[in-house]
Amino acid sequence: MAESVCRSLRDGVLEGELAPALTIKDSLSSPFGFNVFSHILVQLSSHIVAGKSQSRGMVIVSLSRSPSSYTGLLKMNGVDVESSKKWIHILDCYTDPLGWKDKTRKSGDIMDPSNQILSSYKTVKDVNKLFSVICDLGRGLVGENKSRFCVAIDSLSELLRHSSMQSVASLLSNLRSHDQISSIFGLLHSDLHEERALAAVEYTSSIVASVDPFHHSVDGQGSYIRNSSEPNLTKGKLNIRSKRRNGRVRVTCEEFKVGPSGISFAPVSAVDGAAVAGLIPKVQFNLQLSEKELVDRSRVVLPFEHQGNGKPIQIYDGRRSLEESNNETTPISGGKKEESGRGEIIYFRDSDDEMPDSDEDPDDDLDI
Amino acid sequence: MATTRTRVSSFSHNVSSLKSSQHPGLKNGPNGTTFVSSGISDLDKILGGGFSLGSLVMIMEDAEAPHHMLLLRNFMSQGLLHRQPLLYASPSKDPRAFLGTLPSPGSSKDDTSHKPSHEKDLRIAWQYKKYFGEPQLNINTNNGGHHDYCNDLDLRKPLERHFFTSNNVDCVSIQNSPNLDALKDRCAEFLAQFSRNEGSISSAGRIAIQSFCSPQCKYSDMEWHMLSFIRSLKGMARSSNVVVVVTFPPSLLSPSCSKRLQHMADTLLSVRAIPDEDKELAKLLTGYQDMVGLLNVHKVARLNTQVPVILDATTFSIKLQKRRFLVFECLNQAPVDGSGGSSYGNSGVCSTSTKAGPLDF
Repeated sequence: MAESVCRSLRDGVLEGELAPALTIKDSLSSPFGFNVFSHILVQLSSHIVAGKSQSRGMVIVSLSRSPSSYTGLLKMNGVDVESSKKWIHILDCYTDPLGWKDKTRKSGDIMDPSNQILSSYKTVKDVNKLFSVICDLGRGLVGENKSRFCVAIDSLSELLRHSSMQSVASLLSNLRSHDQISSIFGLLHSDLHEERALAAVEYTSSIVASVDPFHHSVDGQGSYIRNSSEPNLTKGKLNIRSKRRNGRVRVTCEEFKVGPSGISFAPVSAVDGAAVAGLIPKVQFNLQLSEKELVDRSRVVLPFEHQGNGKPIQIYDGRRSLEESNNETTPISGGKKEESGRGEIIYFRDSDDEMPDSDEDPDDDLDI
Repeated sequence: MATTRTRVSSFSHNVSSLKSSQHPGLKNGPNGTTFVSSGISDLDKILGGGFSLGSLVMIMEDAEAPHHMLLLRNFMSQGLLHRQPLLYASPSKDPRAFLGTLPSPGSSKDDTSHKPSHEKDLRIAWQYKKYFGEPQLNINTNNGGHHDYCNDLDLRKPLERHFFTSNNVDCVSIQNSPNLDALKDRCAEFLAQFSRNEGSISSAGRIAIQSFCSPQCKYSDMEWHMLSFIRSLKGMARSSNVVVVVTFPPSLLSPSCSKRLQHMADTLLSVRAIPDEDKELAKLLTGYQDMVGLLNVHKVARLNTQVPVILDATTFSIKLQKRRFLVFECLNQAPVDGSGGSSYGNSGVCSTSTKAGPLDF
């Protein structure tokens, strides 16, 4: 559920652990990543303003959209941006990420000094500096004490465009291990990057929410007209994989619908079974015993086990059958023939010189 | 009466008598090798004794689960308990902080209660049994000295500080180094203390490298550099009394590099995550509630011999007993209808196809 994702971001980090990091991944076949991102942004902001979340402030690193669009978005959703207690700061990496305007401008730069919540950042390629600026801004929001803040990165794709995968991965892991950061979340467009960059970002994040087309294509090649029908432009599926603390992965799926008022989520109607068969080998027999089976097994009385309980111990020596299992009177020696109506087989020993064991049924010595 | 005797060939390696009294952390293995414990008794049993000295153990991580940390913690802690020096390298900024999470031996001695005691209860129906006093055929589970070799480590109880504040633990952070040369020098220095000579083994050491190609390391796209580092590490380790354990996430490497690293390992394990609250898996496996992941054993080290190890089962479930003790159990699966599928599914490289591939180093 998007609810659970928002909740885990809101609850933040436990002491001594890495902060939860959400990566929202979308692609051309279902380009609604920003809708999901803004939904989560709005939710988290309202939690912060209401004081219900662990983080007391938010730093938005806006790379692909202008800061004013964020203030507009928050205002439209009823979140008070201009409140007296400063809780949000937007780092503007959109207007001039590489500092070109400074180089071309002859006069001094014209910055709006009255804007309290905005700062401009001009060296996106220097990821270390970005990290320290984010931390400083956050600390400015929440103070030096134990309060925490959360970080929203508008587009990890933009960051990956400007700098190497290693530096982005180290930025994410440094942010996660910073002791004043409560949670981070970012947006990524999966078809812009190589597999390895995607894998690296997924490796460093704890929740991966991928925005998929409504009719899931079987081979994920990305060609977005899969069916004969039109691609669905308002609906899609959100597949969430979150890493839990005990090492298991929680996989959930939701449908979403994008409308003029925003995005809405609904639990998915039909669940298709996950392919778990590949995980386990096809062992056909259960080789262990359950508790009941163990108890039953211990109750089985084996042959010879009931001997010696007061009765004399009898050892079969091959010449005569044991008396307990022998009900019929079969003469061993002698030539008497008996008839009975049951059709028995009567065997007469020819002589006593024969080996004593050769004529006896080997199962006769079983004492059951 | 059939007793099982290990087949001793006419050429038996003249092993200098290894002192299990003096070195509880070491155990004699076949073909002149020596084992150290991995810290998990189930894993020692699966591998036939433990990790061989001089071998390279590689653990393939799953990007979604931290189970490799459990294995590493037990490995490192067991070494420290036996006073074996340790070199630990990790991509975090402060590797020393990880030492605070190492487990300590558990105090409860109820490890026999969970083990199925089927072997002890083997009953033979034999008519002359009554004439003998004690039962003759009790299977010896070799408990003598067992507690010293491998401790039951309680993951919730941290290891006492005096085990690692002494100078036998060296920690290296590999995050900021531009390449692996610094780490290679540290390893070479460490391994030089334990070089193998003709005499008896005085002490053993352990090296643990965590998340070797983690993306925040600057050298993580220099694949050939990483491969040559592992190769030289393996070569150095072969001639010394050290076990090297390296964990790496194979999904972050190119497939060829990942395959090459897997081939270089003497013992290859992999851990995998399982989905949470999955009804299908719960129906398919008994004991699903306690499982936290899966362990696959792809290769088991066999030094000084060409005979490979063929295991009965290569997939085990990772469980945390009482959330403290790490155990590996065979999977108990409901009988399936057996239609299709090979007996080991997709669980990875078969243990016999070890070094016969076209790659030769």
